[in-house]
Order: sequence, then structure tokens, then C-alpha cells
Amino acid sequence: MKMKMKMNKEQVTVGLISFAHGHAYSYAKAISGRSDVVIAGFWDDHAERSRGVEEQLGMRGFDSLQALLAEDIDAVIVCSENAKHASFTRAAAAAGKHVLCEKPLGLSISEMEGMIRVCEDNGVQLMTAFPCRYIPAVEEAKKAIDRGDIGEILAIRGTNRGTMPGGWFVDPALSGGGAVLDHTVHVMDLMNWFVQSEVKDVYAEAGTLFHPELEVEDAGMVHVRFANGVVASLDPSWSRPRSFPTWGDVTMEIIGTDGIISIDAFNQKSEVYADPATKAQWFYWGDDMDAGLLDAFITAIRSGAAVPITGTDGLKSAAVALAALESARKGTPIRLEGN
Amino acid sequence: MKVVVLGCGSMGSVHANAYSRMPDVTLAGVCDTNASLAQRLALQAGTEHYESFEHMMDTVQPDVISVALPTPYHKEYVLKAAERGCHVICEKPIAPTAEDAEEMIQACRKHGVRLFIGHVVRFFPEYSDAAKRARSGAIGNVGVVHAKRIGSHPGDVIPWYADRAASGGVIMDLMIHDIDYMRGLFGDVKSVYALNRTGPSIDYALVTLRFRDHPAIVHLEGHWGYPGPFTTAVEMAGSSGVVRFDSSLSRSLHVQQSAAAAALKAVEVPRSPSYRNPYEVELSHFIACIRSGEEAAVTAEDAKKAVEIAIAAKKSASIGQPVLLEREHGEEQ
Repeated sequence: MKMKMKMNKEQVTVGLISFAHGHAYSYAKAISGRSDVVIAGFWDDHAERSRGVEEQLGMRGFDSLQALLAEDIDAVIVCSENAKHASFTRAAAAAGKHVLCEKPLGLSISEMEGMIRVCEDNGVQLMTAFPCRYIPAVEEAKKAIDRGDIGEILAIRGTNRGTMPGGWFVDPALSGGGAVLDHTVHVMDLMNWFVQSEVKDVYAEAGTLFHPELEVEDAGMVHVRFANGVVASLDPSWSRPRSFPTWGDVTMEIIGTDGIISIDAFNQKSEVYADPATKAQWFYWGDDMDAGLLDAFITAIRSGAAVPITGTDGLKSAAVALAALESARKGTPIRLEGN
Repeated sequence: MKVVVLGCGSMGSVHANAYSRMPDVTLAGVCDTNASLAQRLALQAGTEHYESFEHMMDTVQPDVISVALPTPYHKEYVLKAAERGCHVICEKPIAPTAEDAEEMIQACRKHGVRLFIGHVVRFFPEYSDAAKRARSGAIGNVGVVHAKRIGSHPGDVIPWYADRAASGGVIMDLMIHDIDYMRGLFGDVKSVYALNRTGPSIDYALVTLRFRDHPAIVHLEGHWGYPGPFTTAVEMAGSSGVVRFDSSLSRSLHVQQSAAAAALKAVEVPRSPSYRNPYEVELSHFIACIRSGEEAAVTAEDAKKAVEIAIAAKKSASIGQPVLLEREHGEEQ
């Protein structure tokens, strides 16, 4: 394996590939003020969106992916539609660029294994964008678990409920799936991180229950069993109506032999009741997890250290989401083989 | 109408005190093999106490008996009461098995007495209100539902609960409230998938239900051994809205005493006082049904089905597979 990891650079030059996923704007904002980051520009395969980004962010747009990758940049951030993660990651890795890829990492195990392999072969790092690890409450919970504050974990109940996002997210050719794929991976990654064991078994219910016009599922309940005996459930549904005061949530109840940890990640909020909105609104004022995610990525690339959330982490989490979809189709639990 | 209470533990006390406040009911006796328990409750509720079931039944000749014994004793005493022509109000779960439940239902039918099971959650105002709003269509088509019922482990205080074979554990004894409530809302259950972890003073379960005639995904959390105060919650998400409540957020009264805080002993128990006692509402409803002959809001048949679902959940947890519930004989396909 060629190692390009030792860098210790003053500055990291970054390119952005696609703004299809709205997180691209937040990631761009997170790095735009940093003295240790130079944003070389972006490329987007959607002309109109591309013009919008140029106007809105004043960022240099490249005419082609090849043109962007031909620049002297160290790393790329891939925020395309899910179905394009693999090809863009492969292209970037082949050009010797480190990659921060939006979740879910890929749409099949073999696709994700290929992404991990091509990055290894080219001596670049692959990081999966799981910003929830950078929510202060989540970090504190992780420390409490590792200290043994609640003994051994027995079970976890999680939710990552959201609002139906529309657009390419509900086009199965571009997204690969609906709510179960979109919203299982974040909290699943946290569960993997907390439990430190392999998911062996996945059972899920799924359906299109809120927006019957969709071609993808918008409701689900995912159940996992870890090798060490921990069991967990996770609600990834797009079940927040327009009238709900906020977009959704990330919550976890972690049941240990000696106590409980409850996380309500976005509960640091102002509750606003204002007539023009004609509904209650909750505005999160807690710390910006995307800034934490990008800081971790940039710091790792700058120093040559290993990224804290790897492609394998992305694969493990997406593998559960993919197995959940398969389980819901078949009505039986799906065993995960050796990940 | 003469009513007696069999079993003077916590639920027996609730029943006896409720009856003692009802104007059209005479609490004619309470009975427990533990004489001091029976004596104390009789004094409190203003009635006679008995140590022998037979003695009480012979002496009082009651119209109705509340059976508030540990679950494994339900069948024996329900059958005995039915043979004596006495209507029965029995605590939940109806019985440890659906077969026992069926035997109890048949015996009561045969002897021409009514049988009611105390699925009191249907009578709690927050539950009946949420059900009413969901049924009204206020949130559109219901898609995903969560229910939570978490509290301390009763086996830490009352030994028979700790015996999982006797109590049936958290799914059979505690979560069965939510199982029955959800069946009441969405109809008969088609499949059950469950996760269950147990340990010393811990019994934690997550159960997912799907229904024959409703597409909702219902996820239930039950916990014995929760270190915080007893908490219940429901959230129903529909195609055009959400209805939810959480008992930890809807408390209407907090009393915090400086001296208690200083002693660091008595932790404040938040409360939500109400003029409506759900147990009284439930028992009054059952008594009214005995008088009128009307069907109850929750029937012994409902209670049997809740037991079937709880048993399926326990089986699912142990085999790691979803369990499909069979249609009943004679039911429309």
C-alpha cells in the first residue's frame, strides 16, 4: 500500500464534489473560515445547481470532475446522490485525493468494499460523514459508557426520525432506498461505536405509510442483535409532519446493567411561538456537529493521522440499513456475514 | 350490590378503596391468607376481613368478586367464584396462558356470570384522549407508533414478580397494558418481533407489532429496573400530524421540600393529580356493565388476545424470529 498519509501540512486544499446533498453547504461553511483550509472549488454534475453554488457561495466551479481532480488538491468531499458515491470516490482516490464521503457510504457491500479497497490501493484515506459523533451529548455518553458508568450495555433504543426530504432522496435510482437507508446509518454508527461488537442479525419492518405516492419506504423499525448479546431498535422513519416544530430528532436510550443513559441530541433549543409561522418552532442552538466532523477530517489529513471514522465504519452501518431493507422485503431476519 | 376483594396487595387495596367510595356498591369483605394485610386493608376501607376465600364467600354471598392475586392463582379462584355464581373482575394479565384464559372465559359463560379483566390503561385519561384524537383522523393515517412503560422492578419489593415463570416478566405483566391498548386501536395483531434482555433486577423488552387490518408499525418499550420514576409515553405519527404524551413531561404538580432535599433521602416524586381515578372509572364501568348487561370497553376475550400476543413476543425474543399469530377458528379469512 502506498502511503500518502504523512503530511503535516500547514494547509489542506479541498475540492467539493456535488452539492446534491444539502450537507455540502454546511460542510463548505464549516471549512470556509479555517486558516488551514484552502477550498480549490467544486464540481457538480447538475448545471443549475452548479450556477447556484457559484452565486451563493462565490466558489469556483469546475467544468468537469477530471478538471477538479487535476488540481493540486489534497482531499475531496463527496456530497452527491447516494448512487454516485462509489464512482466519485473511486475517481478521487485514483487521482490521489483523500475522501470524505456523505452517508450512506454505498448501496451494496461489494460497492463499499470496492471504495475502501481503491482508497487503500491509492494510499488515500476514506472517511464516512457521520457528524452525530461530534454532538457533545454523544461524546459525553461515549465517555460515560467507556468509563463503565452504566455497567455493561444490555440494550439500546434509538430514533432518527425526520421529515420526508423529497427530491432525489425519494428516487430509488439515485437514493437506493428511502427512510430506512437514509436514517438508519447515523444512529447505527453510534450504536456500533458504543457497543464495540459486530451486528450479527437484522430484522426490520418497513412501509410507505406517510406519503403513499412515494416509490420508496418512508416508515420503518430496525432491530439488531450484536455478537456480544446487546440488542437494539431504531426508528428511521420520515414521520415528522409539516406541522411538527422541528425537522426530526436523534435520540438514544442506552440500557446498562448499572444505569441508563438518555440522549436527546438536539434538545438544546429555543421554543418559538410566533404568529407568522402559525406553528410552534424549535430552533437548535447547540454546537455545530458538522464543524466537529470537518475539523476531525481536516486535522487528520493535515497531520497524517488516521481518520476517526473510516470507510469500514461507513460500510458496517450501511450494511445494517441494506439488510434491514432486505429483511422487510422477506419478512425474516438477515444474518450479516463477517463484517 | 355486594362486592368482595380477594388479595390485599397493592392492586387489592386499589380495588377495595375504589369500591368503598362507590355510592351504589357495598364493599362486603376483603380476603388474604396474610391476615395482617387483610386486617389493615379492611380497617382502611371500612369492611370485614377474611383469611379464607371459602369462608368469605359463604358468609358474604357476594354479587361480584375482585380477584387481585398473583397471576398464577387467577384461574383457580375465577373458576371457584364462577361456580358460586359470582361475577368476576380479575386483574391483568388474565392468565399465564391463552388456554387458561379460554377455560376461565368458558367457565364464566357456563355459570352465567360476567368476567372482566383490569386492563386499566384504556381508562387512563391521557390514553383515552390520545386514542380519541387518533381515531378522529386528526393526524391522518397512523404510520409509526411508540409506547413506553418503564419503572422500578416490582420483584425488588414483591418476590413473586421476580419469578419470571410466575409473573411472566415485563412483557406479560407490564407491557401487556400497551399491547391491549394498541390492539384496541389497530385491531388484531398479525406478527410480533421482540428483543428482551434480563439480568438481576432488570427486565427490558422492545416489541414491534404489525396488524391484520391496519398498516401501522407499533413499537413498545417495557422496562423493569428503570432507575428513574415510573414513566409512560405514547407517540402516534400519522400522515398529517403527531399526537403524543409523556408522563415525565405532563406532571402538573411538583412539591419540593427543603428539609427532604437537605436530608438527600426523599427524592421528589412528581405527580399529576386528578379528580378522576382511572381504577375507579374502570371498576365503575365494569359494575355498570354487570347491571346493564352491556359489553365492556375491554372484554375478557381482549385480555386473552393480549396474553396470546405477549406469549408470541416472548417466543420471538427467545428464537430471534418474528412470530405470526394465527387467525382464530371460524374467523373470516
